[in-house]
Amino acid sequence: MKTTAGKLSAWFVATLLVVVFLGYMTTQVIQPAYVPGVASTGPAGLTDVLFYVLAAVTIAGAAGVALSRNILYSAVGLLMALLGAGSLYVFLSADFVAVTQLLIYIGGVLVLILFAVMLTNRITEVNVSNTSFGSFGGALLGISVAPVLIAVVTLTPWPARAPAALAPTTALIGNGFLTKWLLPFEVASLVLLATLVGAVVIARKEIKAD
Amino acid sequence: MSVPAIPYAPKRTAKSVVLLTLAVGFILPVALFGAILVLSPLTKPAMFEALVNQLGGNYAAWSPTAKAGAYAGAAALLGFMLLNFGAIISGTTVWWEMRVSSRMQSRIGYNRVGAGGFFQWIADAVKLLLKEDLVPAEADQLLFRAAPYFVLVGFALTFVALPFGESIIAADLNVGIFYMISVTALVVVGIMLAGWSSNSKWALFGGMRSAAQVISYEIPAGIAIMVPILMAGTLSMQGIIRAQGPWPWQWFVFTNPFAFVAFIIFFIAQLAEGNRTPFDLPEADSELVAGYLSEYSSFRFALYFLVEFGNLWVMAAVAVTLFFGGWQVPGTTLQTFQDAIGPGPLPGAAWWGLQLASLVVFVVKTLVVLNVIVWIRWTLPRIRVDQMMTLCWKYLVPFAFVSFVATLLWMIVVARYPVAATVTGGVLTAVFAVVLAVFLRQTKANITAAGDRVDLTHW
Amino acid sequence: MATTTVREYTGAIKDTVVSFWHGLSITLSHLVRRPMTVQYPDRTPMHVRDMLPPRYRGFLEVDAAICTGCQACERACPIGCIQITLEKDPANPKQRVVTQFDIDEAKCMFCGLCVEPCPTGSIQHTREFEASQSDIRNLVFRWADPATGFPVYKVDKTAEYYPRVELGSLVRAKLETRAWDAPGPKFFPPEPPRPPEEKKPAAKPAAAAPAAAAAAPAPTAPAAAPAADKPTTETK
Repeated sequence: MKTTAGKLSAWFVATLLVVVFLGYMTTQVIQPAYVPGVASTGPAGLTDVLFYVLAAVTIAGAAGVALSRNILYSAVGLLMALLGAGSLYVFLSADFVAVTQLLIYIGGVLVLILFAVMLTNRITEVNVSNTSFGSFGGALLGISVAPVLIAVVTLTPWPARAPAALAPTTALIGNGFLTKWLLPFEVASLVLLATLVGAVVIARKEIKAD
Repeated sequence: MSVPAIPYAPKRTAKSVVLLTLAVGFILPVALFGAILVLSPLTKPAMFEALVNQLGGNYAAWSPTAKAGAYAGAAALLGFMLLNFGAIISGTTVWWEMRVSSRMQSRIGYNRVGAGGFFQWIADAVKLLLKEDLVPAEADQLLFRAAPYFVLVGFALTFVALPFGESIIAADLNVGIFYMISVTALVVVGIMLAGWSSNSKWALFGGMRSAAQVISYEIPAGIAIMVPILMAGTLSMQGIIRAQGPWPWQWFVFTNPFAFVAFIIFFIAQLAEGNRTPFDLPEADSELVAGYLSEYSSFRFALYFLVEFGNLWVMAAVAVTLFFGGWQVPGTTLQTFQDAIGPGPLPGAAWWGLQLASLVVFVVKTLVVLNVIVWIRWTLPRIRVDQMMTLCWKYLVPFAFVSFVATLLWMIVVARYPVAATVTGGVLTAVFAVVLAVFLRQTKANITAAGDRVDLTHW
Repeated sequence: MATTTVREYTGAIKDTVVSFWHGLSITLSHLVRRPMTVQYPDRTPMHVRDMLPPRYRGFLEVDAAICTGCQACERACPIGCIQITLEKDPANPKQRVVTQFDIDEAKCMFCGLCVEPCPTGSIQHTREFEASQSDIRNLVFRWADPATGFPVYKVDKTAEYYPRVELGSLVRAKLETRAWDAPGPKFFPPEPPRPPEEKKPAAKPAAAAPAAAAAAPAPTAPAAAPAADKPTTETK
């Protein structure tokens, strides 16, 4: 069990990290680091700081999901991670995807997760739920997934700058769904339909049992 | 009984109090809307640059940091004004709703603080702020403290894309209406966290009811919103308004009969998502004490209250945007606004006048819808949970789908002929006017049947 | 699961529309009518106390001129908010004097049981009810001056009625002279008669004493235990 002192020190470390991070980002804005010989893309502006802050929020949220011993706290961590990821989509000028992320994952998935947690019987003993997989399995999984992620990160040609203004993407996405990507779109909707039917079947079974 | 020793005279509200109330009641909206009117266009980058140059500065010579800082400062000022607007509009809505509700129940209502009790909301807010900030010992401290902020953020973020006039909007997002419905999801998360972290069965039940209700009613609301989106061909709030016209027969709600159905579905679903009567099951006083906010007190409670009543404005404004032609000023076209800008870097006085007119039109429409919401609250009793679910899944969802598909056909078949839209618009407007007249006659008959008469002297 | 016919389905919609129509028109009609209520307390055409029905049970009033000092009201009071002390007049030993007649209106529940046994109608409910006080002890009404007291009234058996001052005038005089924020009096309001100390049934004198001592703190333990426990949140 964590003691109060342990908790306090954890909070202190977390706060210190946030302060150092924010301080560093501020210095980046006010006095951009000049590195001779390296072609700089210009001083870090407000956008860059926002990006790093949002990325930090995302990572902190993801860490909260993984490390928290309370499933409700994990859910809140997930909220942070999803919010951060959604905001990062805006930097890719994908505003429609960003808002969809917000609507589907926070308005739908996260609320359902919270709903399910509240419906569980042993709600006061949620602390045990996160340790069911064990650290060994987690490490194994992490190691097995890492090559793929690293490959994606290193092999993708990242664009240097996001476009300044957001172009409307909704119509393009709609056209894409109904022309070039019609088959994947329909397959996805079939999966959803199957889920719906399955949910109805499960729900009806319970009524019959009564 | 003999006559009392001191001759008794009914006390009247002091003249100074009436004057003060009138002054504040006049200055508050003027200052708020004026600030929004001025700040919203001026915080657009081009206008901001022009303003700086106009004031004697040289914007081009500023360092990037100064540009970013000054611009962020202006944007923060606008955000601050919008937040204040949310707080004050919710406060005055509370006062207005209490006055209306008391009249509907033949009572007098607020009448102590200021003339007509106008300062009651300030007194209430001060009282709430001065109360003890209680956190239940068995509550989850962190989440209990954090939950109100989710609710407040979900509410405050809607003002980013909420239009007030032709150019009076913080940010006209390409996905405006989509953004509006998705950020309100944060309110639900806050309510659920509040319900769980309070560690009280009333709060938990309230939170769960709220979640079930909001998830259910998001579906008919979303489909009903699709109808004006289809008719406008855009998700942007301003784009939807621009696709409509200034006159009632050019509003979406009257040009297309299915849009009228969609409006009713959307309106009911909005009531449910805002936890308004008859859908106030999450905070049903008679069953759940106060639902998810049972354990809250002081400032945290005030935040929930602020959001609940501020949401009225958001609900009404979105309905006006989608179905009632938004800020379109009768007698003007979109070109009128364009022409009024003038040659200078900053728009001329005519343009500002038009902006003011559009602001007034939008606010008046919004207040009408807001009053209908208040009116419904004091008319209908609370419905049961099963009735609430039946209404959503058996009535609203099928009708929403029907109106959605019918609108698709409408757009293909009818809307390609502008004459047809005008004809249906005229017919529907006329029908609505007749229905309204019959309704007012019915109301008049109710009054005379009770042997009473219209008497507004005690307002 | 009950099936819904088409008629029921459309009928429900019709009912909704009709009830909206009538409900909204009724509330709207009330909105533009004059409110029924009057504004309490200072916009009424007369004092609210004068608008109350005559048998209203407000503050108790004692007319000392016709009080017989029989203490029937004190005995009748179920909560003991009346306290009366009778003394002999040192100058005239035959004359008894009421030196204390306190009524704690903060405790009074306005049941009227003290009014009924009064032989002369000295103690009566009035229509006075407005007496907000910052100090609750100011709600103790002293009907007898402790220094002088008042002589008891000799009942005239043949009298048809007893000369009583106008009902409410005495209470009103007391209320009007007392500011709401007046400091509280020095004396204590009347205490209800304490029930006699209950003696524990001493069945086993030898063993009971240590057992009773041990039992005394025991009841607190079960009361504290549920609070210390994590309350299980009730979910279904």
